[in-house]
Amino acid sequence: MTAAALQMPADTPDRLLWTAGIAAGATLPHWPTLPIWVPGLLCLSIAWRLGGAIFGWPLPQTLARIVLAILAFGAVLFQYQTINGLAAGTALLIVMVALKYLESRTARDQLVLIIIAYFLLFASLLVDRGVLMVLYLLGFVWFTTVGLLQLGRHGPLLGNRDMARQAARLLLQALPIMLILFLLFPRLPGPLWGIPGANMSGRSGLSDSMSPGDITELGLSDAVAFRVDFYDRTPGPDQLYWRGPVLSVFNGRTWSTDGPGMRPGMTELVEYRGEPIDYRVMLEPHDRRWVFALDMPAQWSDGRDIRMENHYQLVRTRRPIRSLFDYEVTSYPDYSTRETLNERVREYYLRLPADGNPESRALAERWRAQSSSEREIIAKALDIFRTEQFFYTLTPPALGANPADEFLFQTREGFCEHYSSAFTVLMRAAGIPARVVTGYQGGELNPLGEYYIIYQSNAHAWTEVWLEDEGWIRVDPTAAVAPDRISSGLSGRLSSEQARGGALAGIPWLRQAVLAWDAAHTYWNAWVIGYGPELQRALLEALGISRPHWTKLVTLAAGAMLIISALLTLYLSWSYRRIGARDRSAALFRQFVRKLERARVAPRATGEGPLDYGSRAAATLPDCAEEIDAITRTYLQLRYEPDDGRTALATLKRLVRAFKPAPVT
Amino acid sequence: MLAVPRQWLRSSAAAWAQKRQGPDALSVTLDKRRIYILPSRFGLAFGFTVFAMLLGALNYGSSLGFALTFLLSGLGIVIMRHCHYNLRGVRIRFLAAQPVFASEPAEFRFALSNDASAPRYEILLTHNGKESKPEDIPAGQTRVFTFAVPTRERGLLKLGRYQVTTRFPGNLFRAWSWLHMDASCVVYPHPAPRGRPLPNEAGGEGLHGGLERGDADFIGLATAAPGEPPRRIAWKAFARSDELMVKQFAAGEQQARILTWDSLPGLDTEQRLSQLTRWCLEAGERDMAIGLQLPNRAVPVGRGQKHLNECLRALALYEEPLR
Repeated sequence: MTAAALQMPADTPDRLLWTAGIAAGATLPHWPTLPIWVPGLLCLSIAWRLGGAIFGWPLPQTLARIVLAILAFGAVLFQYQTINGLAAGTALLIVMVALKYLESRTARDQLVLIIIAYFLLFASLLVDRGVLMVLYLLGFVWFTTVGLLQLGRHGPLLGNRDMARQAARLLLQALPIMLILFLLFPRLPGPLWGIPGANMSGRSGLSDSMSPGDITELGLSDAVAFRVDFYDRTPGPDQLYWRGPVLSVFNGRTWSTDGPGMRPGMTELVEYRGEPIDYRVMLEPHDRRWVFALDMPAQWSDGRDIRMENHYQLVRTRRPIRSLFDYEVTSYPDYSTRETLNERVREYYLRLPADGNPESRALAERWRAQSSSEREIIAKALDIFRTEQFFYTLTPPALGANPADEFLFQTREGFCEHYSSAFTVLMRAAGIPARVVTGYQGGELNPLGEYYIIYQSNAHAWTEVWLEDEGWIRVDPTAAVAPDRISSGLSGRLSSEQARGGALAGIPWLRQAVLAWDAAHTYWNAWVIGYGPELQRALLEALGISRPHWTKLVTLAAGAMLIISALLTLYLSWSYRRIGARDRSAALFRQFVRKLERARVAPRATGEGPLDYGSRAAATLPDCAEEIDAITRTYLQLRYEPDDGRTALATLKRLVRAFKPAPVT
Repeated sequence: MLAVPRQWLRSSAAAWAQKRQGPDALSVTLDKRRIYILPSRFGLAFGFTVFAMLLGALNYGSSLGFALTFLLSGLGIVIMRHCHYNLRGVRIRFLAAQPVFASEPAEFRFALSNDASAPRYEILLTHNGKESKPEDIPAGQTRVFTFAVPTRERGLLKLGRYQVTTRFPGNLFRAWSWLHMDASCVVYPHPAPRGRPLPNEAGGEGLHGGLERGDADFIGLATAAPGEPPRRIAWKAFARSDELMVKQFAAGEQQARILTWDSLPGLDTEQRLSQLTRWCLEAGERDMAIGLQLPNRAVPVGRGQKHLNECLRALALYEEPLR
């Protein structure tokens, strides 16, 4: 029966306008990212459908609509080469909205559009998470809810203002429920299944090669790489080197890992010293097999499929990491690798392209000639970074064919990858086996959760050199240029923000506004966007729930929901409270009943309808039967058919006044 | 495909409710014990969408995705409560169902009152799967709902179970209450086609003496002069027009007739009742006094609309077990 009512034609212009508003508003946030023809198709179909309803334009027949649908879906497929993934899925959904709108005729079509609209709002939240966007969406959820109230009706639409108020009330009452669920619903630390390919490729992370500019790009990313919970001891900032892929092959411009099939790691050659550090890592999916750990890992979780590869890098044995991966590691910041290199391997770590970077090579040869030890050469190299005018910046100039030369002698502006690359080239040219190590450096302590967050912007590259009697030792040339970067773990983002602030420094209020906006944005990101497993755990700990188990969460949520439900019941009982009889007609009828009672008609029984009472009174007083009948009928007409309220009321008034029954004898 | 189990489920649920609630008086205020609520088909689709959003939010770890998902979940819960309250406290009374002739639709009239301070939207009645037009009832007001139930045979047509339903707000839920009022409509026999003349039998003798000349046939209205006896004043017309009128009567056919069951040999029961109905109507048209003689019941001679109704009622309820 629901279905029958919903299938009735309901294509009045006001309903169609509502639907058009919802279709346009819900898709609007997606317009900038869509190929132009998608919003075009939507606008066209809205115009066509409205024209059909208002001016009687001919609408496309079924066959034409099917052809249009096939063409449109084909176009999406052609444009995206897939219908999987967020972007293509959204485009497809919007095309569906356009086609559905064109054929929208019944209330059901309109309700389907509302559901799609809510879903599109959801999809835009996955893409854009700024404050302004959220404000727009909040407003539009309201708008769509008004549409839901209006288009869910079978009758004519109600006043928009009334319904807007009603929708606002409903949403405000839904808000506490949302808050409870938002705060308490168990947050999973990783995706349920692999996020479709398109999205994964957009994710920033380290790669197995490094060209100038690669890590700079990561420096701008606020995505979380992994989170670390140190159990007892927290290492100092200068020890926070999270080891990742080691790059040993240089082609003059790009560093890359060596091919697979190298020998396994040689933990037995590592001499661990000092205190161990135990910690747990929650690694975000990055679609690689790399497992990050502090230099130098000694032990790691059994049964987590982790092994140490050559270059002391931990990797997951089989599959890439596509969901949150957590593991425990014990590392020793103080270590030495007693590794000996045979001639062949030594040559491998000294290899440089036959030509290119001549100035650097010449410099390195000069150092070699002047120095008595390799230690001295390293010190000399670090010295030029320290003493010459080098700048640490996120926006370095582009480098040409001899990147090391250009960087060292001309531009002198760069990010960690420039420093480590140039430094490694110098070392190799000076005859010291060296390689680039990539990974992350630093991390931000989250004071709420007492854990460290390592962002993609913490991505870092440093150098390892091999010394005859010490094995591989870490040298970080970036630390020589920007010691802050290392000691505080601050990311390179800071410099770009400083640059932005600096440009506006001349206008104080504008600068204030920019800073306030930035602060708002930061808080928004930290507390709303960033509300995940860690913040949830911190919140629950603050509430006194130290080890959040799902049963506790459910109990807490259920309790809160009960309270909200009780409040809602109170509110509803109040707003639907009983009011006394309002109308004059009831008062007049009571007056009539009193007159009859004086005429000794037996009193009106409770629950006795006016009609029954009237006929009983007429039977008692047959002389007044017609009058009684007229009064009763007028009264009933007035009560139940209030179409001509005024005149009927006047008539009833006159009839009751004129009514003077003679008492029963 | 699922029609049969659904039908079965529906009727057994209704039977359970009837057993639980018992029969209803002719005026009922809907309280929470008798209001049921389930998601509508659209509500299920909405719920499914929200669930899909939840999975999406979980998968993408999107905090704002969670926020929207939970806002819409909250909206669903709040709407469920509002839908329930939209119905709760509605006072529903069976007004009347005017008698009809078989094959005419019987119109059951109900008054639904909103005694609350908030308006109620989209209230409708459902009977046998057919829905009335939804009505909005402003605060403190009453609306009349009419069911037209098709009739096929004469007798007492019982309305049986019906529902008061609402899907407001948003059509996500359907709240309803089953009502089992003893509401019925008298269905007169379908009149036989004209043609058979009225039987020519003399009625009771005492009849003529009781009738005052000039009171017999109503021929129209005239403006009332002062001192008219009240029972000749046309109160109904007064109610309509403001003018005090008196009814004027002319002398009609004075001969009363008794319509008997036995005067129609060779017809079966229903045919006889149809024919008697036709005769009663014809007598009424000519303002003849008639009496009715049925095997189990007799209606004394009389005339006028009231008397005619009584005769028709007797014919309608002939051998009906009730009333």
